[in-house]
Amino acid sequence: MVPQPRLRPRTRRIVVVEDEVLIRALIAEELRLEGFSVIEADRADDALTYIKSSEPVDMVFSDIQTPRSLNGIQLAETLRDKYPDIPVILTSGNALPGHVGMVEAFVPKPYDVTQTIALMSAILAQKSLGEPL
Amino acid sequence: MSDPCILIVEMDLLVRTPLAEYLRECGYLVLEASSAGDARTLLEDSARRVDIVLAEVKSGEAAGFALASWVRTHLPNTQVVLAGTIATATEKAGDICQEGPALSKPYDHRLVLDHIQRLLAARDRNDRT
Repeated sequence: MVPQPRLRPRTRRIVVVEDEVLIRALIAEELRLEGFSVIEADRADDALTYIKSSEPVDMVFSDIQTPRSLNGIQLAETLRDKYPDIPVILTSGNALPGHVGMVEAFVPKPYDVTQTIALMSAILAQKSLGEPL
Repeated sequence: MSDPCILIVEMDLLVRTPLAEYLRECGYLVLEASSAGDARTLLEDSARRVDIVLAEVKSGEAAGFALASWVRTHLPNTQVVLAGTIATATEKAGDICQEGPALSKPYDHRLVLDHIQRLLAARDRNDRT
């Protein structure tokens, strides 16, 4: 039997959308320490542009209240239509329960970074079970 | 000793992200800001000591120069590198990589520039459709 080369797992790419730079930098730094590749966007518009233009993205973690034309909910709706394989987690300090149903999870602010990353990892692990090896 | 820290100040996500990833591959801790205001917020956060600020300077805009001036006054140990174009920014990042911790030098800064230009072209195509 011919030995097959072992494929190195691709680094998971997470887009973090958050206009508060200190919050964004904190969660991005912790995610990188956990081995994720992180794209930091302060606006949902930019996140969508990146997703359209660049390498595949595995997850989006977005604040609901984001500046400019697109907010986190509209971003989630667009992704659900055009990129249904990308799980979305929304976060906010004052979300209405009605927003929660259309995304994988909702994380109320202020959130615990460690628990939030554990949630992301669990959702990605669940998703990868359904992917071809 | 912790990794040297670079703060990239660049409005365009498609430019900032590849530059930041390149410098992380070189062994730096990289912070990202999309504006001079966000850069100030990160610099004033005492939890982080920034060694180098790599900032874009667009013609007709004073924010980049004002940030550089503020850094020189308030953080004299922080070096400021200003770049006026994407090509210059990637070249400066290449220089920083050469002089830095050099955990690995996976690719040339010209490849980063090429990657950025392809991303920007893809964005332009998407904008038209």
